[in-house]
Amino acid sequence: IFLYRLESQVSFNADEASVSVKECVEAIIGGLDYNQNKVNQWTASIVEHSLTQLVKQGRPFKFIVNCAIMQKSGAGLHTANSCYWDTATDGSCTVRWENRTMYCVVSVFAVALTC
Amino acid sequence: MDEFQTGEETAFVVDEVSTIIKESVEGAIGGNAYQHSRVNQWTTNVVEQSLSQLSKLGKPFKYIVTCVIMQKNGAGLQTASSCFWDNTTDGSCTVRWENKSMYCIVSVFGLAI
Repeated sequence: IFLYRLESQVSFNADEASVSVKECVEAIIGGLDYNQNKVNQWTASIVEHSLTQLVKQGRPFKFIVNCAIMQKSGAGLHTANSCYWDTATDGSCTVRWENRTMYCVVSVFAVALTC
Repeated sequence: MDEFQTGEETAFVVDEVSTIIKESVEGAIGGNAYQHSRVNQWTTNVVEQSLSQLSKLGKPFKYIVTCVIMQKNGAGLQTASSCFWDNTTDGSCTVRWENKSMYCIVSVFGLAI
């Protein structure tokens, strides 16, 4: 007798990741003003916590989390991403957050593990 | 007898990637001053050109290229990345470029297939 289990390929759920990331950002810098001395710590915390939450979901993915915090002073900022991967399974999501003194942009890239 | 070849062909070579990025950035924005109306096109050109050169390397990798262009006007910018991957095969490389009117930061992440 053969027991055959078919596992469907999981694809990245951008909405779920987005919610998770927003919570991390809010928890770390919500209500704070841009502070040059602390911003280093903030970006590191945001990427680490977001990554931990994503990994906890237990899905078969490699993750890259990128966070940029910019002081609001009238400068122009432009970002672009380009990815060479498997469009059926891999995906990304970008969360933009702001308050009175700063912008925070977090991007998550998820690449399926090939087993 | 099995011959196991772990060659440079399948590793993420930071220097090689770094050179490709520098050329893409120079080609797309070298000699230009920050212009709000063109910056959209520039970031797109930088990532596309970089990605196209990287895929030409023919290595068994998936790539993610991000590009940030910021006008120089005294604002502070801090970025961080965190990655959950295979430390033995995957890698990243970040190139910082600037001229009189803008900064350009390009990051490439390579994940082995």
